[in-house]
Amino acid sequence: MRPSIGSCALSRATTLEPAAPGAPALPRLSELRRRLAGVAGLVPATSEPIASRGRPEEARIIPARVLETPLVARSVGPPEPLPGPVAFLDGIQRCEVLAYAGAMPLLGADVAAAVRERVGRDLRTVHSERRRLLIGRPEALALADRAATGVPTIALSTEEPPHPLRDLDLAHSAAERAREEVERSVGDRYRRQADHWLVVDGSLAESPGWARDPRMIGVVKSHASLPVGGEDLRTYLELPAGHRSSVFQPASRRHAPVYAWGLRLWDWAGKDLLFGLVRVEAAPVPDTVASADRISRWLLAERSPLSADGRWDRLLYGIHGVEAYLRARQ
Amino acid sequence: MNDRPAAHRAPPSSPTVGRVVATELKPSTPHHFFFWTSRDSPIGIGAIVRVDAEERTVFGVVTDGFAYSDLQTPIHAVIGADGDPAGPDEPSRRTEIRLYAAAVLRHDPEEPVQPVPLGAVRLADDADVVTALRMDGYAVGEKRSGIPVGVYAAGGCEAPVFLDADFLLGPEAAHLNITGVSGLATKTSAVEFLLASLFQTFPAHKGSIAALCFNVKGPDLCFLDQPSDLSDEDRRLYARLGLAPVAFEQVKYFAPFKADGVNLNTLRTHEALAANTEPLLWGLREVLDYAEVVLNRDDVDAKADAFISFLAERVVGKEFEDATLPRRFRVRSFADLEEFFRAILTVLEEARGGGEVWRTHHIATIRKIRNRLGNISTRAKGLVTDDGEVNDLPWGDFKDRGLYVVDVAGLDPLAQDLVFARIVSRLREHLERRDLGVDHVVVFVDELNKYAPGDGPDTYVRKMLLDISERGRYLGMVLFSAQQFRSQVHRRVVGNSGTMILGRMDGDEVALPGYATISPATRARLAALPKGELLVRHPHFTQPVFVRFPRPPVLSGREGIEMFPPRPEVSFEEAVVRRVRALDPSLSSGRILEAIAGRREEDVRRALHATIRARPEQPLPFLVRCLGKDVPIETVRSRDVVLPVRTSGEYY
Repeated sequence: MRPSIGSCALSRATTLEPAAPGAPALPRLSELRRRLAGVAGLVPATSEPIASRGRPEEARIIPARVLETPLVARSVGPPEPLPGPVAFLDGIQRCEVLAYAGAMPLLGADVAAAVRERVGRDLRTVHSERRRLLIGRPEALALADRAATGVPTIALSTEEPPHPLRDLDLAHSAAERAREEVERSVGDRYRRQADHWLVVDGSLAESPGWARDPRMIGVVKSHASLPVGGEDLRTYLELPAGHRSSVFQPASRRHAPVYAWGLRLWDWAGKDLLFGLVRVEAAPVPDTVASADRISRWLLAERSPLSADGRWDRLLYGIHGVEAYLRARQ
Repeated sequence: MNDRPAAHRAPPSSPTVGRVVATELKPSTPHHFFFWTSRDSPIGIGAIVRVDAEERTVFGVVTDGFAYSDLQTPIHAVIGADGDPAGPDEPSRRTEIRLYAAAVLRHDPEEPVQPVPLGAVRLADDADVVTALRMDGYAVGEKRSGIPVGVYAAGGCEAPVFLDADFLLGPEAAHLNITGVSGLATKTSAVEFLLASLFQTFPAHKGSIAALCFNVKGPDLCFLDQPSDLSDEDRRLYARLGLAPVAFEQVKYFAPFKADGVNLNTLRTHEALAANTEPLLWGLREVLDYAEVVLNRDDVDAKADAFISFLAERVVGKEFEDATLPRRFRVRSFADLEEFFRAILTVLEEARGGGEVWRTHHIATIRKIRNRLGNISTRAKGLVTDDGEVNDLPWGDFKDRGLYVVDVAGLDPLAQDLVFARIVSRLREHLERRDLGVDHVVVFVDELNKYAPGDGPDTYVRKMLLDISERGRYLGMVLFSAQQFRSQVHRRVVGNSGTMILGRMDGDEVALPGYATISPATRARLAALPKGELLVRHPHFTQPVFVRFPRPPVLSGREGIEMFPPRPEVSFEEAVVRRVRALDPSLSSGRILEAIAGRREEDVRRALHATIRARPEQPLPFLVRCLGKDVPIETVRSRDVVLPVRTSGEYY
């Protein structure tokens, strides 16, 4: 009998990718979905309700302790290149509903993070890690066990009865934690290897180690939480281009204290109040206050080249490069 | 899966330089594919690459290149630089792609024909170049028939490229056509190098070969027997190609005389070069057979044709007697022919009532042919002799690896046409009879725009070139042709050329639709191609490839002129002395001058031509014998006038 060549080719098109150097290859989410489709008790699914896309971060003002009083806009001076090699760290996450076991969703998560180091003017990836996970209630995971052998799982809490939307929210949160874990993993690997400046997309406060690191800079693009209110808030949000706010210490951080300040990368007039505004975080040491202008000048130099992204006003090119690398390998 | 063993596949020896990419918008096909490389890869337009996948190896040649970054729009660059193009470099270099398009040269296995797989891309090494260009079928083995045309060079690889003699000189395909701008010596240099390569590597089992070149302008081909001073790099290239950098050994030059009949009409007149430079001298018989070449289109009617045939078959070179003519004629020269015409016309004019027809030929036809043939000896004076002496190419005695150059650069266009037509026709006749002396002859004609134009009247020369290009390969007659504008040459002439070579091209020319099959990047490279590089298309090559060739091993025209400056035109006596001394350098000028002193120029000229033709052991005695006895000029005394007898006007 002549072999079928069409379906064979389709099957082989699904490639496996190692999670990290030396780690076993993981199936793509599409492959997981195909495997789960044949499992009794599971109904395959390919989309999730709009209401389950996760809640945006709650907009609020969490008053911070201003270290350079009063809170004013300070010119940081002309852009200045970061000395020597510098590295950028970012992570991505993607969740897909793969199947339902009754009312219980079973999600696949693809999380990855990488560090790209710049030597001279060229960026190259020095560390990367990817994890593919199955997330669901234990009953749903048990049904999928045989079809997803070897795939790491995250079991959702069973304290509450199953509710598909709530479970989806919980699953997204679990994926986010997994992504943060992968980010910390590659960041720590890089730090063990090199002590160059490391610019991280997001807050340093998620990791006590990062928060203490004197050569790490966090660049936060989100402004759901604002550090000041009243007239200070106006000063903070109306920073002119090339200016920073006074250094402050954000309150209510879950893990570790950091020092932070607002920095306007691009002129916002005629655009949006938050256009070009980032929050910069660094280790909570006196030297950070003294270095705030210098670090700000470095970040101003990193405005160019512009990122090929709609968020180019706040997304540094080095960070964008990490994200593009990770998405290209998804 | 194809189980056929991969006959040519050898493990790759060079490192990976790229990866094949295929998207819905830019998919791979069996004939084209795309691949990306790092910024510093040695890939360039014309580079030959190999793609290795699990079950297939594909060879391709790079036809185009693209580079772009992740910049969304140009305005983002302006914003990023704060509007200052002179600002400092961006701290991070933008992600940039080097994307190359490649055309497939060969698949291994050949069947089934499938799109190029996603795979690693490597630069081809020597063995890969042989396989990619299918040279493994003819450039290796005992019965090899490869003719080196240059080296393919890319990324540190330098591999010889061979043409297949079976497809260059027949019988499979034949002919070669070169296009290139004037002034960069691309065309002439390429032909000189290729002829040298051909003479050194033409396989013995394919027989003997000679070449005949028409020098149509300046001193281009005038020094093919003189070695050039090659650079070390050129010598290295010769060694890489397995060739010896030596000038042609058996070269003979033929050039007509100037109007004076003793000074050669060529730039190769330096005394040191006289030994193998001969006059090309034809008589009436040689011209008459090709009379239609010199007649314009309106002249060639049935009546004219019939009268020319009558002259050729019944009159020229024969004893001709006609009751209407006053005497028997033996027409051997234009002078004899003129007497013959005069006699006919006298008969017709004196005939009662004015005769109009002589032996079925109308007087107007006779006058026209007399006029046209008479023109030949005027317009081609120096080539055509009035006195019947002839010096011609060595028909029947062409030498293997012999190079014969006919210098027609100084001739009237009509005379050039005559030379082309007669020589090529004679070549063809001899090759048909297999008695030329060699099995194959390469005929090189430059300025094909002029001799085989795509438009204009259908001339005899163009018909002849078409005939060579369409049927020559069966006879062993191969046309190597060159021109500046291929688009202006008759399509059938260039179309029949199995091998096409393009040198540095004029930008306007290469933009014409005739070059549409060549990729835009390749065309752009052609427009700026350095001297010594060519794009070669050959029947075995699926795609044209760039090659580099060394300087030819002979002096260029310019160098030759500097080293062997043409001697200034000399007096009749001095020219005779030099011609005779060329035959026997031991003769003193004084002896020769003494021998011709006081003799009529036409007698000396005839004797000199006879001597050159005969090439006797002792030229001077031979010349003197040809001159005959000197009859001193006598002044005839006028007689006393005898008064006529007075008559009445009545005879009876």
